[in-house]
Amino acid sequence: MSVLLEKHIVELLQERNEKAISLLYEHYGDTLFGVAYKVVKDHDLAQDIVQESFVKIWKKSDSYDSSKAKLFTWLFRITRNTAIDKLRSVNTKTDKEIQMDVSDVYRIGVESTRPELMDVREHLDKLESKYQIVLDALFFQGMTQQEASDELDIPLGTIKSRLKIGLRELKKIYGSTMVLLSILSLLS
Amino acid sequence: MKDKIKIFLDSDLLEKYLIGSTTKEETLQVERYIAMHPEVREMYLELQDNLEAYAKLHAIKTPDGLKEKILSTIKAQNSLRKRFTRYAVAASVAVFIFAGSSYFFWDQNQNLMQENTIVSNKIKTLEEDMREQLEDVRNQFIVLNNPLTKKYSVKGNKNARDLKAIAYINPVKKLSYLNVRNLPELPEDKCFQMWAEVNGEMVNLGVIKEITDKEKLLALPYADNAIGYITIEQKGGNMAPTVENIVANINY
Repeated sequence: MSVLLEKHIVELLQERNEKAISLLYEHYGDTLFGVAYKVVKDHDLAQDIVQESFVKIWKKSDSYDSSKAKLFTWLFRITRNTAIDKLRSVNTKTDKEIQMDVSDVYRIGVESTRPELMDVREHLDKLESKYQIVLDALFFQGMTQQEASDELDIPLGTIKSRLKIGLRELKKIYGSTMVLLSILSLLS
Repeated sequence: MKDKIKIFLDSDLLEKYLIGSTTKEETLQVERYIAMHPEVREMYLELQDNLEAYAKLHAIKTPDGLKEKILSTIKAQNSLRKRFTRYAVAASVAVFIFAGSSYFFWDQNQNLMQENTIVSNKIKTLEEDMREQLEDVRNQFIVLNNPLTKKYSVKGNKNARDLKAIAYINPVKKLSYLNVRNLPELPEDKCFQMWAEVNGEMVNLGVIKEITDKEKLLALPYADNAIGYITIEQKGGNMAPTVENIVANINY
């Protein structure tokens, strides 16, 4: 997202202009839906989470501090925490463990309906799953590297090196993806 | 210092902070490191970029209608908030008016209570006055009407020849009255004062003012073998009678 547009949205948020939510949804809706889905692995639940998160974003709009975090980081935190809370309440309600297996994520067919996301998916597929597992543990599951090492039964040193390489690969991918996405957004 | 930063970066606290899973204390600690160390700040910015890029790779098309659902929820909340604000304003105004009128009525009540005290005190004084006067009138009537009442004519001596008075004494009812009929002219700085010697003690009965009503009866304290005196004193009266200035005496 361009810095200018981000600034514009932040201004609208601080003025408590409802247009801010509309713009946020257009630019971050799909990504935040993906984040929610990543945590709960349930399409309907993820939809509820996105709705709740946007209401929270609206309520907290005057508390956003651009000197402390980028706009996306703030949105991500709200969405992820809402998803984790939801997961906890669902778990206590049904007393049923929801599988947190990362490999499940590709079985969903919903995202394939949007052509540009198929391109993104292609890019994700470029990232070897061994790196994805480490990045998922870090960004979505909130594990420390030590916890990831214990959980995934991979030595800490390997986790560290995979993370490093994973991030470098990611940079390569999103370097081109960003170009692609901005061309797409210009076309749409 | 470098070691400190390395330990901090190795602790994964920055990553936890990035995704919003730090405690309040940890958040403060991380924010301090970000503010103080450019290396940490740079790392944080890079992590934010990575996070956004990685999250974007997982984007899924949102279901149709979700945007409208969200916007209508927010609109409903806004109107609820606006309505609440309106009610809050109305309630504050009402409270203000209530407080103002309460104070006004309280103040008025205080004033009325004060006035009430004054009026009831006045009534009490009036009642006492009336009782005293009625008692006096009743006694005057008894004295004047009783056949046992003795009537003495009192005349002034050579110092006040024109002084004329009548004393009414009733030993049965133990009442005595004096009716001053005439008082001679006195220099401006002098006045007549009445006294009574009751059981060997001199009682000051006060200054006799100008006679406005010739029928007025002055009550005298009654005692067996009491003597009444009229003296000429300095204007305003004296504490004790001046014996050489006695102008009349009344034995009763």
